[in-house]
Amino acid sequence: MSHLSLKSLVAAFLMLVFFTSGIRAQDGAKLFKQNCAVCHTSHTDAHGTGPGLKGVFDRVPKPADAWIHKWILNNEKVIKSGDPYANKIYNDNAKAAMTVFEGQLDDKAVDAIIAFIKGPPPAAPILAKGPSSDVAATENVGGIDPLYLTLGILVILAILIGALRSVRTSLQNTANRSEGKEENPEIGFWNEVKGWMGTNRRLVGVFSLILVFMGMKGCWDACFDIGVYYTWETKNGYKPEQPIKFSHKIHAGDNEIACQYCHNTVEKSRHAGIPSVNVCMNCHKAITEGATTGKTEIAKIHSAAGFNPLTGKYDESKSNPLKWIKVYNLPDHVYFNHSQHVVVGKQECATCHGDLKSMTLAEQKNPLTMKWCIDCHRQTEVAMEGNPYYERLHKALKEKYKGQYDVKFTVDKIGGLECAKCHY
Amino acid sequence: MSMSKKYWRGLPELTESPEFVKQHQSEFAEPLPMDEFLNEEEAKSNGTSRRDFLKVMGFSTAAVALAACETPVNKAIPYLVKPEEVTPGVANFYASTFYDGHDYASVLVKTREGRPIKIEGNEMSGVSHGATSARVQASILGLYDGARLNGPWLKGSPTTWKNADDVIGKAVGSGTVRILTSTIISPSTKAVIAEFMAKYPNSEHVSYDAVSYSALINANKNVFGKSVVSSYDFSKAKTIVGVACDFLGTWLNSIEFAKQYSKGRKVSKENPVMSKHYSFESNMSLTGANADERYMVKPSELGKVIVALFNEVASATGNSKVSGEGKISNADAVKAISKSAKELVENKGRSIVVCGVNDEGVQTLVNGINKMLDNYGKTVDYVHHFNLKQGSDKEFIELISEMNSGKVGVLMTYNCNPVYTSPASLKFAAALKNVPTKVSFAQVLDETAQMADVVCPDNNFLESWGDANPKAGHFSLQQPTIHQIFSAPRYEGTRQFQDSLLKWAGVKSDYYTYLQAYWQNHIFPQQGKFLDFPSFWAHTLHDGVLKVVVAKETPATVMPKDSAGKPILSGVAAIINAITDSSKAEVADEKLIKAEENPTVADALPTPDYNKAASMATSVKSGQFELFIYEKVGMGNGNQSNNPWLMELPDPITKTTWDNYITMAPADVKEMGLHEMLRQDKIGSIATVTINGITENMPVLPQPGQAPGTIGLALGYGRNAETLKVANGVGKNAFQFLSVTNETIQQIASVTISKTEETHKFSATQIHHTIMGREEAILREVSLKEFKEKEKEEFNPSVTMATHEGKVPIAEVDLWDSFPRLNHKWGLTIDMTSCIGCAACVVACGVENNVAVVGKTEVGRTRDMYWLRIDRYYSSDMTKEKGNNEHLGTKQTYLDMETPSHNPKVTFQPLMCQHCNHAPCETVCPVLATSHSTEGLNMMTYNRCIGTRYCANNCPFKVRRFNWFNYNANVLFTDVNPSQNELGRMVLNPDVVVRSRGVMEKCSMCQQRLQAGKLVAKKAGAPIVDGSIKTACQQACPTNAILFGDVNDENSEIAKWRNNERNYFLLEELGVKPTVSYLMKVRNQEEPMLVEENKVEEKNEKSEEKHT
Repeated sequence: MSHLSLKSLVAAFLMLVFFTSGIRAQDGAKLFKQNCAVCHTSHTDAHGTGPGLKGVFDRVPKPADAWIHKWILNNEKVIKSGDPYANKIYNDNAKAAMTVFEGQLDDKAVDAIIAFIKGPPPAAPILAKGPSSDVAATENVGGIDPLYLTLGILVILAILIGALRSVRTSLQNTANRSEGKEENPEIGFWNEVKGWMGTNRRLVGVFSLILVFMGMKGCWDACFDIGVYYTWETKNGYKPEQPIKFSHKIHAGDNEIACQYCHNTVEKSRHAGIPSVNVCMNCHKAITEGATTGKTEIAKIHSAAGFNPLTGKYDESKSNPLKWIKVYNLPDHVYFNHSQHVVVGKQECATCHGDLKSMTLAEQKNPLTMKWCIDCHRQTEVAMEGNPYYERLHKALKEKYKGQYDVKFTVDKIGGLECAKCHY
Repeated sequence: MSMSKKYWRGLPELTESPEFVKQHQSEFAEPLPMDEFLNEEEAKSNGTSRRDFLKVMGFSTAAVALAACETPVNKAIPYLVKPEEVTPGVANFYASTFYDGHDYASVLVKTREGRPIKIEGNEMSGVSHGATSARVQASILGLYDGARLNGPWLKGSPTTWKNADDVIGKAVGSGTVRILTSTIISPSTKAVIAEFMAKYPNSEHVSYDAVSYSALINANKNVFGKSVVSSYDFSKAKTIVGVACDFLGTWLNSIEFAKQYSKGRKVSKENPVMSKHYSFESNMSLTGANADERYMVKPSELGKVIVALFNEVASATGNSKVSGEGKISNADAVKAISKSAKELVENKGRSIVVCGVNDEGVQTLVNGINKMLDNYGKTVDYVHHFNLKQGSDKEFIELISEMNSGKVGVLMTYNCNPVYTSPASLKFAAALKNVPTKVSFAQVLDETAQMADVVCPDNNFLESWGDANPKAGHFSLQQPTIHQIFSAPRYEGTRQFQDSLLKWAGVKSDYYTYLQAYWQNHIFPQQGKFLDFPSFWAHTLHDGVLKVVVAKETPATVMPKDSAGKPILSGVAAIINAITDSSKAEVADEKLIKAEENPTVADALPTPDYNKAASMATSVKSGQFELFIYEKVGMGNGNQSNNPWLMELPDPITKTTWDNYITMAPADVKEMGLHEMLRQDKIGSIATVTINGITENMPVLPQPGQAPGTIGLALGYGRNAETLKVANGVGKNAFQFLSVTNETIQQIASVTISKTEETHKFSATQIHHTIMGREEAILREVSLKEFKEKEKEEFNPSVTMATHEGKVPIAEVDLWDSFPRLNHKWGLTIDMTSCIGCAACVVACGVENNVAVVGKTEVGRTRDMYWLRIDRYYSSDMTKEKGNNEHLGTKQTYLDMETPSHNPKVTFQPLMCQHCNHAPCETVCPVLATSHSTEGLNMMTYNRCIGTRYCANNCPFKVRRFNWFNYNANVLFTDVNPSQNELGRMVLNPDVVVRSRGVMEKCSMCQQRLQAGKLVAKKAGAPIVDGSIKTACQQACPTNAILFGDVNDENSEIAKWRNNERNYFLLEELGVKPTVSYLMKVRNQEEPMLVEENKVEEKNEKSEEKHT
């Protein structure tokens, strides 16, 4: 135990150091993701709709921060003012207008974005929070699997027993010989064990009872995992091969495309939505070659859409739907609504889906068991402030828990553990 | 009103019959069939030994274990190009129109991922007012009917459209064509037919309604010179007299009438006024059951009632009487006629007389009565008339003789099934054989389509474009809510009737284009709100309905076309001309109304011969037994009889499912020595019935309130079409018994009945008939007079409990702690004064919540799955007081109390889970599968339930339902359960779990709608708007009898209803604290309804106190 807590302490300390210096940049990262990432990359040269922002502070007129601040808020104004660099960029990018953020972002937010672009490339993507904390995830890394450890010990013990037994036999024989007696008859190992068991019936009985109970407990525990495609020890789950080698890492991680760009019904519907092929084609009409898989995988999208990249034309008769394998499966008797969790509950995608930005092949990162749902509902506070729907309830709850110290209005306090909230 | 009630589970318990005592000891009512497996001898005979049984058991255990190891692979297949309006997981609603030739409703169709799953009423409609009926609710299943044809048929085998078109093209070119349709209310369809007739001048269009309203049309012609059906406004009527007219259930536009009727009967202390409703009828109809005063009259005397009423009203208003008044055998009815006539005259201009007898004479007199009562232009309106019924029996009969003479070369039948629906005496089927080419547009192989040479299956209404003009001045549009189901390349596909006709007529346009052109040319000019057609079209399509000021007849003329044969859209000039035209028409209509009000200009109207009408009306001969053929609320005219939801729907009156039967007065049943079906007996007799020379054997159901000497028989059963798996062979066809008198098809016939020794088992969802003295706890009623005069505590006393501290209100006595409802406290209240028992809610609940259909046998075993049922109670002549006074003894009193009165009063009580806040079911569940929410609802968790059924046992309301079988997969239910076939499964609501075998289920108060409504509010960041969440039953209710809301919201409508002096809870004395409450039924009658029992008891108590 001391070993573990030491490790977690170190981890916590490291994280503290990292985060205290990067709070602003973290906000900026989020803002960048929401507002800029569709067109720009933050720390590479890769040219999306707009230029990659690596080294942007060296390129723009000085003082760079102030200029970029102006530019982000209202680039049209800067262009109209006759700024030569602004006009150059405008013309270089085929006169594609950038969004005017004045009114959408305040000065602080813009500064945060600038700080983020200026700062070091995001080493660790935003960490998942929730019942499966990542501190725990680091525990087993580098350790020896307890199963192998047990097996090893068992093997060593077996060898030891064998060795001791032969030593005992030979010693006995030597003693017998020296005393002139006959050598002990060769009794087989199993016969000997049987003999021992015959003389120690009570002990054997107790042990076999313990074994039976352990076996039953094992079966009982295994029952909980029926239909759960998730390995608790390694925190790894269902990871099926997909018809297209689609990489979330390339799209959401490297290119920083917002999740909602593809999963665009997540705020409207119970389903986050698998993007329809025409959404893929928004980008892949132009991008026909991938960084890792070359043309083969993107060609599959083209064939699904009935798109001929040579002629640049669609032929609907040749289109055929893509059949993705669903990774996150809930049983039919559970009602889950994405929009409830994302819009009302203000949850991050990563809370349940893990850090998809680092996954090449999407993998189930949480067990999706009812215990897991409930644990989260017990810990997560409801975003009541500022939502008039909750006004009456908030007042009533404050009244109910009046005088109690440190009460959090978590989901379970407003009926979030009730059966019929998810089962109907 | 005493509280000392004795409860028992059934009559056998009360009588302590030996069978009951024996059964009482055992756990199961019927022995389990274990013997078949375990008995050695049995085993030898049926080949299953105990050994085999154990082997099978072992194998299946292992198999189940293995099967559970398999990892299911779920695929997620996105759209190629996602339609902009579709969001997976979010429902879209489209306004459309339902009209099947029988019922009309403007509807909203709920679609999920492009497939319709539910129909709701469109509240913008001025004709259906957001209301629906059971038939409209169930109609969505017609889209997914497995019996639907997926391509054209030629001479009994599938063919291609090209072949079908060729055959028909040749036939229409050479012979005389007759198009036989049910009433068409679509103006553009009429124009399409006109196009066809213009191309083939030898053709004619004949309208024919399966349930005829010819007499009504003829009567209006006689009296007002207009061959139309008047519209009615029951909400303005203070006195309503209905003669054999089921205007709340099936007659004309019953959906609208129910809405209006209930509007005139919303009674409160502040406004204690309600309409008075008299009913004279032979059968117990839904409308009669709701009447304040109901009188039983033989079918042959119905005309005489109208004549008598005419004369009474005539003498009171100073008009001339008619001669030939006949004798009415029921003396009470005679008295009631003069009483109602007096009230009618008192409420001149605010009364209504309607009659459902399809006799020209009778209807002419009814018009005369309404005219004398000055009701025209007020409660009855022939200017803003209905177009819903246009069929002419005379033309239909003429068509048959034309067919017999061999003159007809091609007969096309659209939206009608005359082989099944025409009276046997007209011999339509024989006449049809004389027609060389018979074309049917039926969607299924029905009786007529089976005889047709070519079947050109029409689209379902949910796949079709269309329009409707149900009432003068009211239009509505129909739009497809799903792509044609049989459009995949492997099918030949269906084709809309209008498209077929346009094609044959050589118009080079599809019907959608034609429809738009028609609207642009004819309907767009009638309105002044929109200046350009595209925005007019978009708005009208969105609303689904259009009301124009003018009741202008839309002409069914051929439209101008360009050289390519496409209809020309009109220009601006044409619109302006048309607008001036329509203003002229408005003036003309006003003149008509004025002419009616002012007798001096009434010269233009024809002079009806009321004496001739009276002699026609009284000409029906009486017989030993007389038959009155009626429509059931669920079945209507039978065009939806293959719909299992409607087949299983318990008839509101008889509560019987899956059956057609003769209803007969209990006294007649006794006299004939047939099974009386007393004491909850389910076995009835079969009688041989001869009507118009046709003999059939039919089961007999004793029906309280049936006029003595009469029988009733419902239409819509006895289908003879093999592909209609649900309907085929259920019951007997009543259409064949219709008689033809005075060139109209009438529901009346004389009958001879003889007894057989055979019996028939009925499957009913309710087999006891009376409330048996438990009115106070379950069914509180009060007369209007008492309601007005007495205090709340007198007619609706609060329930108290005797404790050591004296009598305490039941709410204050509690075993358990109560939990605060911090956020919402849901509540549902049902106004029993408004409820008419129409069962629209029952079907809507089933559709919304994927409630399984179980079939006749299972209903017979009381295993129906309805989450919401409507209990129907008859009044009884015996009361406890009467029993006491006559010293009958407790036992005899209760036995007599079970027998309904000769002509009982009827009460309907919708009953679903009461969501008790101290729920008895929750405390007995061993696995906590049923528990309570912080919002006051009783939650049922199917995945937790292990099926002990303790909860159902402990439920005082008996609203829990157990899944005895896997109805969605078990072969026993393949024919009845729509969710077992690929197509029928599409109707399931994806937001509600489909329950499996072995779990309990019940009303969830439409939890999925609640959660959805809450989410909308949360996302919008606003409190829930009162009335924005509606349960399925509430949405379907045509009379606004059901109200759902948040009781915690002080300003909500439900909070007001809860404060109503009529509010009470069922079985409140149990202290279960239900979430559902009821508003007492108020009857508009003078006789007191309250029993003065309280005083007696109080006196006793006082005397006891004195003694102590």
